[in-house]
Amino acid sequence: MLDRKSIAPVVVSLLLIGLVAVACAPAPTPAPTPVPPTQAPAPQPTTAPTAAPAAGGIDCAGAKKGDTLSMLYQWSGQEEARLNEILKPLVDQCGIVLKPESTRDQALLDTKVKAGTPPDIAFWNTAQLVQYKDKLVPMDTLGANRGNYADFFVTPGTVDGKWLGLPVKADIKTIIWYDPAVFKAKGYTVPKTWDELNALVEKMAANKDVPWSMGLESGDATGWTGSDFIQDILLVTKGPQYVLDIISGKVPYNDAGVKQAYEIYGKWAKDPKYTVGGAKGTLSTAFLDAIYKVYSDPPEAMMVKQSGFAGGEVAKKYPSLKYGTDYDFFAIPGAQGLQGGADWMMAFKDTPAVRALVTYLTSTTGGANWAKAGFDLSPNKGAAGNYQDPALIKKGEALANTKGFTPDIGDTIPGGFGKAEWTAIVDYVNGKDLDAALAAAAKVQKEATTK
Amino acid sequence: MAAKTEQVPKIMQQGRLTPWLYLLPALVVMTTFIVYPGLNTLYLSLRNIDDTAWASAACITGQPCWGIFENFRYALTSEIMQTAFLNNLKWILLMVSGTVFLGLLIATLADRVRYESAAKAIIFMPMAISFVGAGVIWKFVYDYGSGQVQIGLLNALLVALGGPPVSWLTEPQVNTVALIVVGVWIWTGFCMTILAAALKGVPADILEAARTDGATEWQVFRQITVPHIMPTVTVVVTTMVINVLKIFDIVYVMTGGNYGTEVIANRMYIEMYTSFQTGRAAAIAVVLIVVIIPAMVYNISRLREQEAIR
Repeated sequence: MLDRKSIAPVVVSLLLIGLVAVACAPAPTPAPTPVPPTQAPAPQPTTAPTAAPAAGGIDCAGAKKGDTLSMLYQWSGQEEARLNEILKPLVDQCGIVLKPESTRDQALLDTKVKAGTPPDIAFWNTAQLVQYKDKLVPMDTLGANRGNYADFFVTPGTVDGKWLGLPVKADIKTIIWYDPAVFKAKGYTVPKTWDELNALVEKMAANKDVPWSMGLESGDATGWTGSDFIQDILLVTKGPQYVLDIISGKVPYNDAGVKQAYEIYGKWAKDPKYTVGGAKGTLSTAFLDAIYKVYSDPPEAMMVKQSGFAGGEVAKKYPSLKYGTDYDFFAIPGAQGLQGGADWMMAFKDTPAVRALVTYLTSTTGGANWAKAGFDLSPNKGAAGNYQDPALIKKGEALANTKGFTPDIGDTIPGGFGKAEWTAIVDYVNGKDLDAALAAAAKVQKEATTK
Repeated sequence: MAAKTEQVPKIMQQGRLTPWLYLLPALVVMTTFIVYPGLNTLYLSLRNIDDTAWASAACITGQPCWGIFENFRYALTSEIMQTAFLNNLKWILLMVSGTVFLGLLIATLADRVRYESAAKAIIFMPMAISFVGAGVIWKFVYDYGSGQVQIGLLNALLVALGGPPVSWLTEPQVNTVALIVVGVWIWTGFCMTILAAALKGVPADILEAARTDGATEWQVFRQITVPHIMPTVTVVVTTMVINVLKIFDIVYVMTGGNYGTEVIANRMYIEMYTSFQTGRAAAIAVVLIVVIIPAMVYNISRLREQEAIR
């Protein structure tokens, strides 16, 4: 009796310790995607001659049936369905098992990378190419087809001389959406030059039509629509090289040219004559609502500057409206080159399945399939002539003929500049002194770009 | 069993190691999840943006620099953090007083009505809603329509009464207060429940004696009830101070810290996951801990005193 009593607590606590110790012990590092050692040094298509020519020339790059490929991206719902449609030939041909994960939470990607368990492939922003430059596998070693991409798509993906990522999906931002029916009824015409746009805005204001619909509100990303607008103004007033110089830090963010662009934007964004609700309206309107206001009945505003995706949002909100007659867009007149957002493909591992995916998506077939699926635009030259949707055809032509493609300044400078830029815009519209707002952002820009 | 000469049977004596054995599981858990991360945060707060060098590497020549404590220079002196400190102070003053005052008021009043439990249940209900949910609900209440139609409850009322709508969440004079109202709405139920329990603990015979002696209700409340529940009030106040210092969800969901509504915890999140400034985020975390520690120490010592009374 006594002996058992004395032992019991000790045994129990020992058991507990054991449990805790087991729980705390570092789990045996799971080899995330087992790379068959024999497959590793076999990148050339010649090692998989049987797979290469079949199914429209899909090269499995040595990937075997059952090989897994983990991916992390921000797409969901219909976007995800389209991606699967694009990847289906590859999956069918090579038997790769996709392990996708969809999130808009950048913290998740960051946590995974820091924990040493990154996805094989991530589709994210350019800033992550710099952020993870030591962990990414260069695109050329993975069999990417450089010839299918214009230089201005490769340069932003090149970090310290290494080609670390490439844009698989792009959306152009330098466009303005309007209602052709309303324009026609009111006698407005699509402007061909920046001066004509200015004159059109003044004419609308004189007619008591509100020219712009603006909305900065977007949760913790509030301000991004303003940064898009200002960058487009910079493309008009200063051109793409100026934007790239801001990104590299050569031009400080409180330069006179930037200030001028803010003032042009502010003149419209803060005045109820030019935008719905004036400064308060700009600040508190959600970016999606800003799109809808142009197509409500009666329209609250004549134009909204928003990226290509706005067309899809209009179609969702007002299914009866038709592209071309009820909603359409024109490129910002006078802009030299386009501003665009892109999802960048980056690889954290070098496995046959990763090689197969990179090879496929950068091939002419991959570009064509991307365009056929109608998943926005593909910077891949193989996309040309394969878009089906009329809006995409028009956007695709603009992208194919552009002389330059500047990425979003805020997305590209690391170290919190994006947030600082948004804060500057929000503070400026909310009444803060412009010089002070820009100086704060320029300080972050300087910290981020001086090494 | 042979009789021993010791007064205490051996089985009832503890070996020197036994207490430690009992403590060990807790210690292991605490070390893994509190001590180690805490020390690591302290270490990271002295490192640069991505933990590749000491923080002093981020210094730019010709600008003020605190050397290895460079991240703390940001956490303590930068403009945005000053805004955050000021706002956290507003939160403490308004939200703690608001929740405790309303909680006490409702607890006292509800104590005297027949439908006490129903009333308390309603007041306590917001506590069951997640902060994010509450933020979304109140974002609609405060909604400001730039057009003719106001879908926000408050602005719809204002417009119906003939006034101009107010952009509650972007106006620097009102937005922080508007957010604090949400906090009060959520936490009043918590304060009420604890204070109500304390009120029930006030001996009925004393109250009755006072009333018999002709004391007014206010005198009874002021001179008997309040002194009796004072220890509980203190604990509630310190708990709320700790809660409010850590406030994050409401601000993150409703304004994202924009328009001058920044608070310490939200800035910490933004530095960590929007700007990827690991060092600065860690420094802000350390500052936040240091600010909270006095409130915690005080809270624990009060709890101990109460235990001692029991």
